Amino acid sequence: MKQYWNRFFLKNGIGISVYLLIAMLVWLGMLIMLPQFFMFDFSFRFNLPPADLGGPKDVYTLSHYKYMAFGSEQATDSYNVVDVWVFVRTILTAMFVTLFDLALCYPIAYYLAHVAIGGWARLMVIALIVPYWVNELLRAFAFKIMLGTTGIINNFLIWLGVIDTPIEFILENYALYAGLGYAFILLMIFPIYNAIESLDRNQIEAARDLGSPWWRIHKRIVIPYAKPGITSGCTMVFMLTAGALAAPQILGGPSSLWFTQIIYQWFNQGNNWQRGSAYAVFLLFSTIVIVLITMKVFKVKLGEVSR
Amino acid sequence: MMGAVTSEKLTRVFTILFVLVFFAYLFGPLIVMGMSAFNTSSFPRISPWDCFTVEWFEVLTNDTDLMTGLRNSITIAIGVVILAIPLGLAGALMLTQVSSRLRPWYYTIVISPILIPGVVLGISTLVFWDRMGRMFNASYESFFYDGIFLTIVGQSTFVAAYAMLIFISRLQRFDAVQEEAALDLGATHVQTFRRILLPFLKPAIGSACVLGFLASFENYNTTIFTIVSKSTLTTVLASKVRYGINPSISALAVIIIALTLIGAVYFEIIKRREERYERDIDKLVKAGSTDRAKKASLLTNPAMLIATVVFIAGLGTVYFAGTIGVDECKAAIAEQKAIETLRKVDEFKKKQMFKKAAPGLETGTGADTPTTTEPETEAKGTEGYQSIFAPTNLEGQVDSDKKE
Repeated sequence: MKQYWNRFFLKNGIGISVYLLIAMLVWLGMLIMLPQFFMFDFSFRFNLPPADLGGPKDVYTLSHYKYMAFGSEQATDSYNVVDVWVFVRTILTAMFVTLFDLALCYPIAYYLAHVAIGGWARLMVIALIVPYWVNELLRAFAFKIMLGTTGIINNFLIWLGVIDTPIEFILENYALYAGLGYAFILLMIFPIYNAIESLDRNQIEAARDLGSPWWRIHKRIVIPYAKPGITSGCTMVFMLTAGALAAPQILGGPSSLWFTQIIYQWFNQGNNWQRGSAYAVFLLFSTIVIVLITMKVFKVKLGEVSR
Repeated sequence: MMGAVTSEKLTRVFTILFVLVFFAYLFGPLIVMGMSAFNTSSFPRISPWDCFTVEWFEVLTNDTDLMTGLRNSITIAIGVVILAIPLGLAGALMLTQVSSRLRPWYYTIVISPILIPGVVLGISTLVFWDRMGRMFNASYESFFYDGIFLTIVGQSTFVAAYAMLIFISRLQRFDAVQEEAALDLGATHVQTFRRILLPFLKPAIGSACVLGFLASFENYNTTIFTIVSKSTLTTVLASKVRYGINPSISALAVIIIALTLIGAVYFEIIKRREERYERDIDKLVKAGSTDRAKKASLLTNPAMLIATVVFIAGLGTVYFAGTIGVDECKAAIAEQKAIETLRKVDEFKKKQMFKKAAPGLETGTGADTPTTTEPETEAKGTEGYQSIFAPTNLEGQVDSDKKE
């Protein structure tokens, strides 16, 4: 260990070594690890008035996690119907959105990387960047304008004569699903595009010459090659969708909730930070576990992903 | 043989259709939103189209909440760049120096802020500094509870990770021999760092700064928790979008989209210029020439000049077109609406008379009652969700605004 530090200082010089160490201390310690740890710790504490903090009442408790699973003590249901269902719905929707984005983006990424030629492909990739930098809120707002009761889609469908009365896209949550699918779509397309782009075209040609149909070329050559890109795209889209706040706040119908909205409510309206932290910890752990299990199922290693 | 050709054609048509649908999905909402910024209707929409106007841009610049938020957002974004870029650089430099056993762990930890939901990052930052503040017995005016400071710190957590990824990809092409040579020739470590590594990283530092600024500027999930009692552009925007919307938000979107487009074009031009420069150098090296390759100046680039002129001219035209004749057009539309309303009232009266005359035919007329003529003006979308979604309300809002 001592040898390691000696070598470290010798290689970088004193000044640079100090800079590196301080930066690591600040970033890893004060920005990443300690806040997560404190939030974890905080979620096991009672919501006490400032006077009681550090006093005899300030002990660890599981009450917030219990509340999340079973509801308040007075409740008649055997479990916390609202919160548990919101959680299940959030996770299932996030999974569905991920699959939808994958189905939409894989062909496009393949097209951009191997079918489209020169200038056009480049123009399309640039075009993709533009919606990415438009604010998440504004993207949701755009869907709200489009899918409102008097929005252009409804007006168009009525004009076509497909429907007589406007479809309640927002009340029925269609707007939410469309908006969520849209929100992080580029985080799916770029990793897959990067992965496929480096695939040697000769491999595809060879397979084709040997008589392989297109679906087998994808199944045996392109998809295995693009697997790390697909995994990192799916991971990012899933995590971000499950943790999205803007789209559900803007596009969610009045009765529907997203799990992050419940967390937000505990912080802002409920004024119970501890309980909000517990919900946040639960969201974080469950999404990580789901991602890890999925990776295991599809036999992807963590190290391959973020390249 | 014939079959193969047609199936190939079919595939091509299908592919092109798919690409078109995809891009329509990607740009359709943005185009609709952008167009709604130029419609006089006080509810953002493009159908029916009323009058072409730029008045919503004026409404936008007169909005003090948004302007305060914008100022805070810029302050925060600058702060984030200053804090996060050095952290990201250190993170990238450390990657090769962590022992190989620890490296996967190290990498997982530094990359985690990108994957952790923004909400969780915001909460953990808030909780951590609240604890710290209590530990040091700090007053509520101190920086431990200051929204701007907390937001800078919270956003830097993940912006530093973005920056690190950019630095890592640049460092992979770095030739460490250069550093060793400088050290052998007697340069100090700091000198080597400043004269060799930093110049090599310069383009990466530039793009990390731009990316960090933008990522901070458009962040919402983390900011909404860490900003506490202050506001940023995104938090103001969020409350505006949720309660009572008007096209000035579309106008803001138009500005952001325009800036992004300009940025993307500018980046593309710079990239092509660099590529051409490198090609020229290659050619010169191969030819054994000692001449220096010339870097074309961006200001004298004809394409850039023409683009700028066209852009400014277009802006002027739009503004001019959007300020003249708006009032006349609005009056005409209001008149049309009034006539329409009168007609509906007439129809309604006739129906009533008809009903009185033949009470047996009453069934099914309920749906035809023109609810739009009596808007529920008290439910204007300010008190919550429900009223926004009521179909009659939107009509009512527009009609009542027209009457004013």
